Amino acid sequence: MAQGGGDRSRGGAQAGLGVTLSPTLLLDVVIGGFTTGGIYALVALGLNLQYGLMRVLNVAHGEFLMLGAYVTFSLHTGWGVNPLLTLLITGPTAFAVGLALHRLLYAPLLAGEAAESLESRSLLLSFGLMFVLQNAALLIWSADLKGYSYLAIPLRWLGTVFPANRVLAAAIALALGVAFYVYLRYSLTGKAVRALMQEPEGAQLVGIQTSRIHGLCFGAGLAMSAVTGSLVSMLFELTPFMGLPYTVTALVVVILGGLGNMVGCLMAGLLLGLVETAGVYLASSDIRLISSYAVLSLILVLKPSGLFGR
Amino acid sequence: MAAKVASAALGAALLVAPHLLPTYYRSLALAILADVALAVSWAFFSGPTRYLSLATGAFFGAGAYTTAVVMARLPWPLPVVVAAAVAAAMALLVGTLALRLRGPYFAIFTFGLAELAKHTLIWYETGVTGTVGRLLLNPPDAVTLYYTVLGVAAVAVAIAVWLPRGRWGIALVGIGADEERAETLGIDTTRIKITVFALSAAVMGAVGGAMAPRWTYLDPQVFNPLVSFQTVIMALLGGATTVIGPVLGAVFLGLLSETLLLQFRYAYMLSLGLVLIAVVLLMPFGLAGLRRRRA
Repeated sequence: MAQGGGDRSRGGAQAGLGVTLSPTLLLDVVIGGFTTGGIYALVALGLNLQYGLMRVLNVAHGEFLMLGAYVTFSLHTGWGVNPLLTLLITGPTAFAVGLALHRLLYAPLLAGEAAESLESRSLLLSFGLMFVLQNAALLIWSADLKGYSYLAIPLRWLGTVFPANRVLAAAIALALGVAFYVYLRYSLTGKAVRALMQEPEGAQLVGIQTSRIHGLCFGAGLAMSAVTGSLVSMLFELTPFMGLPYTVTALVVVILGGLGNMVGCLMAGLLLGLVETAGVYLASSDIRLISSYAVLSLILVLKPSGLFGR
Repeated sequence: MAAKVASAALGAALLVAPHLLPTYYRSLALAILADVALAVSWAFFSGPTRYLSLATGAFFGAGAYTTAVVMARLPWPLPVVVAAAVAAAMALLVGTLALRLRGPYFAIFTFGLAELAKHTLIWYETGVTGTVGRLLLNPPDAVTLYYTVLGVAAVAVAIAVWLPRGRWGIALVGIGADEERAETLGIDTTRIKITVFALSAAVMGAVGGAMAPRWTYLDPQVFNPLVSFQTVIMALLGGATTVIGPVLGAVFLGLLSETLLLQFRYAYMLSLGLVLIAVVLLMPFGLAGLRRRRA
């Protein structure tokens, strides 16, 4: 089995006990891990922003990734738009949708009196959203696998081979993630967001408009998910069911990195990418889903505050 | 008094129904009875304690798969009992780990459980036994299945009626209101939570076990997260803190899904999502809550 651009077929050929840790293999795992991890980090960052700020767990997060991927697919195959340019469409659209959803669904819920059941009810709300979006996608694009080829050129470096689109997608994802972190750290809006995360009541006292910031962050979270979807569409085939696995992965990353902890989130995304890639190389690709659910369960039980939490 | 007469009449009607109804309506009644059992058993744990469990699909699937494995070796009602026992054992294990978690953590954990069970089973079946599914040969006849599911639903309703009347029922409400305070008052919250969780899982496993022979072929996809969500929606739609609420919700959504699911699959699922959103936003206490608020 040749090692080609189809990264899902990899691993199977090298499975077994005969694997030796050559420097090439190590480099393969590291680059593969970082390309996967960069994408994980960006999806997870969006989820973390929503959860860390509003304590609202949006299970439909991956559904926006799926929609972003399909919009890019349609724009590219239908009108010949460059997939990279579609980021400028999917991102802002998802942001606007996020603002609207926050206004229509979450703001009334957050303003309601039953504060202690808020987390469960917002969870159910997003499950409803997930049903709606997934089946809308099924009605529009059908359940068939969709995909296109973009920049599937092999890059050779130090004896390893990597498709250019993966490296590019991961680089963009990481750049966006870091840029967002810098924005959160140094801009006035970013400071308001962090203040609200740390001390909701105190932040309100100094005049930060909670509802406005909540809306902005919800939109920004969805935009990150949709943009990641546009990037992912260059690499994998699309199905309307692709969202949930990403939601689960993002949850694992958020919980690993600690709620509301953005640096922890970036680190945990890269870490999970590395561990998973190593696992696929050394064992088999079937183990991927089992391992992410298992890691999620273990972390929840053993250390709910996350690896990088206090 | 009127309520007693009504429920006696309903019970008699349900008992003679399989002999009078045509085949299609009998299987429709069967599906709805299964939904009632699931929703009621979900509500008698999650209603008072407010632990949002999304593990229904896992227990249902475990029960169904158990029946598929043992049915050829045991006479009929016994596979259902074994299914209940397997699901309860699973719940004891999971409950010990997960009931320390609250809020969305618990919900996510239980949701992940169903997926973990499914993927582990697929992995095990393809890797170790070399099959992905099981055939169910010589299933019991339709009337027997109907009475089995009716029996399970009756047990679920009986538990839901009796549980709140005893000390444990009060303890469950106490756990839902303020768990630490309940513990301070000398309630063994851990033991009560896990036992009732296992009891509700046993009913769910029995439902899965009793419904399994309806399909002649079973694969790990029976661990369906949709079952978990439908159950929650049914119970919340009706009102999870009452007995009649989940029953009403199950009948309503059961009728809806059986008639719409096959013809307009995606449109049905889409509207199910819309219903869920509407219920969460507009009716925090369900249909039964609407009546109570007016009174």
